[in-house]
Amino acid sequence: MKSGKIPNQVLQVGLVFLIVGATMILVRQRFIPESFGELGHYRADAVEVNASHEIQFAGWQACAECHDDVVATKNSSFHRTLSCETCHGPAAEHAREEAEEDPPLPTGKELCLTCHRYLVSRPTGFPQIIEDRHEPAKACHSCHDPHDPVPSERPESCAGCHATISRVIAVSHHAPLDCEVCHEAEPEHFLRPRAHLPRKPFERDFCGNCHAAGIETPANFRGVDLTALDIPKIEQDTHGGTLLCWQCHYQHSPEAR
Amino acid sequence: MNPAHKAQLEAALQQVTGFIYPNEAELHWSILVVIYPYITGLVAGAFILASLEKVFKVKDLQPTYRLALLTALAFVFVAPLPLQAHLGHPERAFEIFLTPNPASAMAMFGFVYAWYLMVVLLLEIWFEFREDMVRWRQQSRGLKKLFYWLISLGSRDVSPEAVAFDHKAVYAITILGIPSAFLLHGYVGFIFGSVKANPFWSSVLMPIVFLFSAIVSGISLVLILYYVTTLIRRKTLDQKCLNALAAFLFYALIIDLSLELLDFIHRLYESEESIEILAELIFSKLFISLAIVQILLGTIGPLLLLAFALFTGLPNELKRLAFFIAAIFIQVGIFSTRWNVVIGGQLFSKSFRGLTAYKLELGGQEGLLAALGLLILPFVILYVLLKLLPPWDDARTSDTKPLEG
Repeated sequence: MKSGKIPNQVLQVGLVFLIVGATMILVRQRFIPESFGELGHYRADAVEVNASHEIQFAGWQACAECHDDVVATKNSSFHRTLSCETCHGPAAEHAREEAEEDPPLPTGKELCLTCHRYLVSRPTGFPQIIEDRHEPAKACHSCHDPHDPVPSERPESCAGCHATISRVIAVSHHAPLDCEVCHEAEPEHFLRPRAHLPRKPFERDFCGNCHAAGIETPANFRGVDLTALDIPKIEQDTHGGTLLCWQCHYQHSPEAR
Repeated sequence: MNPAHKAQLEAALQQVTGFIYPNEAELHWSILVVIYPYITGLVAGAFILASLEKVFKVKDLQPTYRLALLTALAFVFVAPLPLQAHLGHPERAFEIFLTPNPASAMAMFGFVYAWYLMVVLLLEIWFEFREDMVRWRQQSRGLKKLFYWLISLGSRDVSPEAVAFDHKAVYAITILGIPSAFLLHGYVGFIFGSVKANPFWSSVLMPIVFLFSAIVSGISLVLILYYVTTLIRRKTLDQKCLNALAAFLFYALIIDLSLELLDFIHRLYESEESIEILAELIFSKLFISLAIVQILLGTIGPLLLLAFALFTGLPNELKRLAFFIAAIFIQVGIFSTRWNVVIGGQLFSKSFRGLTAYKLELGGQEGLLAALGLLILPFVILYVLLKLLPPWDDARTSDTKPLEG
């Protein structure tokens, strides 16, 4: 049984596909917003909807107009990359002097812990605490000034902040050398590290103190006896041309010989 | 932070080694995303097995042809569910059809899926079963009669010309279906292979490797189902059919293993900067699931077992048992392959300096129970399909015979 030359079953299946296709077209007409695709693969009107939202954040420049002293302190501290409203919340209304209340002062720990909770994936020098062990009963701001946060105690060793370097050096040929052998740090560095940067060696002669041929290994180099070590020696005048030592050798893990 | 979430994160953090970025501690693609390529692979594999009988005229496989089609259908219904459960808001899935986005491979999946389901599988099954559906309708009463009338779309014509046209249509759709099945699963490999930020995934070989592992998994699933359903129905297994299934399984497995080795050697030779962390990953976190389960138990073991059963004079009873056991191990191995790709690819840090861990939840939207549910669901659907459209030769109406191609 055929109707014309098209078999019946093709007509039956074709009808189903036609119904599905027609439904699809109807649904498309009904549900696709008019402005869809004008600007990209989204509803163009959404831009206007977002633009029409009331502005909530004032920006730190607006805060600085009245609170210039606090902003100046913050901008020279460890928290200089944070905006005022990061902690105090959106303050556009306050800046327009329309708000009934001042922006909130965050007093709980949770906000600080967003960044300072111990997390294994954070850089080792970044200050992190385990909240149950670090002064659990005290609020953060009772010891630290959020506008100029500094460690309340001097770290016990350089590794307190420079843990990665201290671990690398511990398994290197330079393991017997204390950090102070090469870096002279003022005591203030331990409290305000960026304001008092430690010194680094800048000359080839400094490495030459141990590594230059013809120079006797010092028995007391800044307090360390180096005579027991088998120190590699180089002709300082010719070795490496005009390059500085640290352009080829990483001082914290000098390569094996 | 939500306390439950915090406890989960803390447990995960204890497994972290080396340096990872903060957003890498928790894996974003869970076990549901493992199940998705596993199920789509079974669909494509089962269909390609069916096409062997129809297009390449492998007569020995005839007893599994219809079973393979229904298996593909049962699994294709479930294929998008893991993604919808993983993403949430399943009601939005329909939008990818309303506003097609050709720039997004993910969004185009909707069309690949719809094409495969509507144009290939449903149509082929409809033409294949049409004559039987008409006769079943004539033989049944009440609701069942109405059901067969509905799914046969009111078709009545069982004249030899009409049936001959059905056969031609099935042949044509199968030819169209082979590239479609390749597209369906090749696409899944494409999704992973095109993630260029992830060196474990980013490889042009990915779609091909996925495709061949899909063929392996599909054939082995149909072998298992044929074995189990025949035993439950207390019928005799067709030894020729099982031999042919096992032989195709054996060859497909060899190609699959060779492609994976090629991929492996290529990575080793290329030795990009990621090679060290990938080596660490394979020898620590993935050792059991990759070296032991995927390669040893899931590939080499079944290969040896199949070779031994196929090429030695084992008695048929033992042969069948060996095929069945090999097929089960292959399923475990292929699931492991998907696990290693999806979960393994997220276990190392993009810094190449650390490894994280995946902690599987028991309950919840993306937990073990949800995953098990999604793995069991296709079998429930298949059970219903087998009841409604029995694929067995003895269920065919008396004056119809197995198709002659």
